[in-house]
Amino acid sequence: MPVDPTIARSRTRRTVAALGVGALIIGTLYGLGPGAATASSHREAPLIAADPAVDNTDLYAFVSPERPGYVTFIANWQPFSEPNGGPNFYPFATDATYHIKVDNDGDARPDAEFRWKFTNIDKRGNDTFLYNNGPVTSLDDENLLFKQTYTLESSFDGGAFKTRVEDAPVAPSRVGAASMPDYAKLRDQATRTLPGGWKIFAGQADDPFFLDLDVFNLLYNGDLSGTGTDTLAGYNVNTIAIQVPFKDVALKGDAGRNPVIGTWTTTERDRVRISGGTGSGGKVQVSRLGNPLVNEVVAPAGLKDAFNASTPRMDAQTPALVKRVLEPEVPKLIEQIYNIPAPKTPRNDLFEIFLTGITTKAGGPIKADLNSQLDNKDVRKDRFQPAEELRLNLSVPVSGDPARLGVLAGDLQGFPNGRRLTDDVVDIELQALEGAAQTGKLVDALAAGDRVDVNDRKFGTAFPYLALPNQDPVNTRGSSGGPAPSAAAAEPSESTDSGSGTDGSGSGTVSGTSGDEDTTASLQAADTEPAPDTVPVAYATGASGLAILIVAGGALVLFRWRRRSTPHVYRDDDPTIRL
Amino acid sequence: MRRILSAVVLAAALLTAAALVTLPGRAPQPGPVAAARPADLLADRIARTQQRLRDVPGDWPGWAGLGAAYLEQARITADPGLYAKAEQAAGRSLKLRRDGNSDALVVLGALANARHDFGTARDRARQAIAANEHGADAYGVLADALTQLGDAAGATTAVQRMLDLRPGLAAYTRASYDLELRGERAEATALMRRALDGAVDPHDIAFCRVQLGDLAFGRGDLDTAQVSYTAAAAADPSSIAARHGLARLQAARGDLSGALAGYAELTARLPQTTTLLEYAGLLRAAGRTADAGRQLRLAAASERLFTANGGVDGLVTAALALAADRPGDAVTAARAEWSRRQHPDVADTLAWALHAAGRDAEALPYARRAVATGGRPAAYAYHLGMIHLGLGDRAAARAELGRALATNPYFSPVDAPIARRALLAAGGTR
Repeated sequence: MPVDPTIARSRTRRTVAALGVGALIIGTLYGLGPGAATASSHREAPLIAADPAVDNTDLYAFVSPERPGYVTFIANWQPFSEPNGGPNFYPFATDATYHIKVDNDGDARPDAEFRWKFTNIDKRGNDTFLYNNGPVTSLDDENLLFKQTYTLESSFDGGAFKTRVEDAPVAPSRVGAASMPDYAKLRDQATRTLPGGWKIFAGQADDPFFLDLDVFNLLYNGDLSGTGTDTLAGYNVNTIAIQVPFKDVALKGDAGRNPVIGTWTTTERDRVRISGGTGSGGKVQVSRLGNPLVNEVVAPAGLKDAFNASTPRMDAQTPALVKRVLEPEVPKLIEQIYNIPAPKTPRNDLFEIFLTGITTKAGGPIKADLNSQLDNKDVRKDRFQPAEELRLNLSVPVSGDPARLGVLAGDLQGFPNGRRLTDDVVDIELQALEGAAQTGKLVDALAAGDRVDVNDRKFGTAFPYLALPNQDPVNTRGSSGGPAPSAAAAEPSESTDSGSGTDGSGSGTVSGTSGDEDTTASLQAADTEPAPDTVPVAYATGASGLAILIVAGGALVLFRWRRRSTPHVYRDDDPTIRL
Repeated sequence: MRRILSAVVLAAALLTAAALVTLPGRAPQPGPVAAARPADLLADRIARTQQRLRDVPGDWPGWAGLGAAYLEQARITADPGLYAKAEQAAGRSLKLRRDGNSDALVVLGALANARHDFGTARDRARQAIAANEHGADAYGVLADALTQLGDAAGATTAVQRMLDLRPGLAAYTRASYDLELRGERAEATALMRRALDGAVDPHDIAFCRVQLGDLAFGRGDLDTAQVSYTAAAAADPSSIAARHGLARLQAARGDLSGALAGYAELTARLPQTTTLLEYAGLLRAAGRTADAGRQLRLAAASERLFTANGGVDGLVTAALALAADRPGDAVTAARAEWSRRQHPDVADTLAWALHAAGRDAEALPYARRAVATGGRPAAYAYHLGMIHLGLGDRAAARAELGRALATNPYFSPVDAPIARRALLAAGGTR
């Protein structure tokens, strides 16, 4: 532990004066400190307890690429789980319940709810703190001294919760190659298929979120010059994943007529009372998450805790939150730093993206119907409630080659239409905050975004898709941590590329044709439900809106790609976006 | 002069030894390489935040987070050098963002609590709540401050609010203490168990287990206490509180030499005034008056260091004065503390100091006040009983002395035997 020399010195001086025998004890004063200066007679309990086991970090929702007709939800907790080769286990909390909730009628209340509860199986006794006693070759291995299991329950349309599985195994924290020589096998054993076609998984995984946290420089008066490092590379998370048929989450079980769902995830604990009687029991929601980065980028500092405790139902009645959506801070900061005028407020386009879904039926400026429950045929529009949810139109077909910038790159299957593991949500949100949806122009200075375009580990092609947990300590990983070579804004070659890229993509993708009924039909192709062929899923009308989004998508080609294999050309084999 | 000098030399030597043992993160790790202990997640968090702040020095929530992490580490390692670092980090955060920066205010409030400046802590907590009324940590700081200031009802309300906002270890442990102070020991134990069940960090596990040990010891259940303290020491071998509990247990079981060895190690690792005083009391009970005197002088040196560093703890000052047979000074110190805060601990110390000064009539209301909230630890009942006895109220003395011994017959290796003799003298049967 390094000692601040100035502190040590000043303390020495005063102490010497106090004792009058300084010469005798100089050099020992750092040691004198602990006993001498800590209080003795009052109890100090942990305060700012790290409680990451219940902190939601990310939510993904996407149509399963290899399994038509099924939707996958992936929710993560416990960020920054360091695989340090030691016996560090990152369990799910056993005193909490973990939830994924789906609102398919737009009233901001859950219509389908999945609930997980975890249990410890701890055979360690008081003899050891080790989690395993030799190599672990299966989840039943006797050497695995500590493990968790879970119960999954579900409730539909407000009905009682029904148990779907009990004692399902959790894939353990990966504690090193010697302890777990074949981790993929443990992952497989923890991936289960349930009656009804459900697939489930819970356990540790590589953190699929990729971003450079330096992007938040913006919020703290910095610039983006240092970006380019995947800040989360090498860390693990605890993941819950579930794959269910469309009909289990769609309104009236009919994803053909009602393809849009909104989803969010929460963590809850039992309410505890020590005063005012025993109360009514009930739950306290300690964490909540829908769209990525809302708590970081949208909600103001003083609102984060309130947001975590609130339900989507309350969002539209929370003026501070609505105000921050309509008048976001990030564009103002960008204006200060880059002299790029912030788009005029109120930002009704952002209201759409975050609170209603992209639709022409809520009076918003984006002339497209993509992913609002208002576009569900059987929705009762008078009961619709704007709410912060991650909204997904299940009828948008799976992209053959997902574009990292999702809808902004014309890939309607990507964020903010749901969220795939590969969607670069930081760059998408930055551009959206700068008004890409309104202006059709990208901010060149930000064109590279955080310059972290893909996750450092490859995702799988089958459920649960996530990369296996990392097992090497983060700080020993080869290339991580190196600063990016230079700033996007300062690099001439960037702007050159930028020009040509705009031309290329602009001509191919644009204009006018977007209202085409053919598009509508083809967009539904991947829906395995017998879908009526009249559902207007995602089409643009007029000169602004989605068409512009897609033009914008072309401009994004200029972005510096970290994935060098496809550096400067945006290619998408999916015919549906050639409008 | 010579005596003082040798005491100081001894203090320095001991404290140097303590420094060597307690330097954070440098504890020798016995055992094979494969049995590496889990990584210190708090240290990881600090390192990560420091790196982040090197990259983004304007990250004001990051600075507040760093301050909070320093404070947690100070609590665990008993290294007050971290207080200054926490203060700097919180100050930096506030400088970057004055308005609505509840995180930094929480750190400053928690820091004030750690330094026993409970009034400041209360004010900072209220400022933090004004900026963010959904912040559970701010209510934790407020609860700690109000508890120590003697506002029991206000503290309970703050703890309940914390529970409503963020149930979890930090709230459960505070709720447990709140219940304990109200005498609801079974509920206090249940909540501390709940905290333990959810604890993952070894330091948190050790904290909960030590509290469970203390709760068991408080009701005279030595075996349960033994299990708890042993488990605490296993979870966190560097836990001073666990070793303190084990040494106290040895004394309670009559294993005087084992207890003395335990205290010798304990005070070498962390020469806290209060543990040095307990050590001195045991040495005296063992007939080693010269050694006891040496420990008393060490305790005094330790206390002088504390006050020289700007610390104020009237309870420690009073306890030291009582041990040195200066009851007048003890009364003065306890009265000064009482003027600052009206916690039951302060009432008890003031009552006992007045008793030692032969002023039992003045002592009685304070001794009653100490047990009024319902907490009634055995030592407080003993003090109240002795004050009654001093006032000639034998019936009341019998009741309280009996209560003390019924609550925990082992409450003090020095005082429990006195309580038994006094009970007989008062006409009791125990």
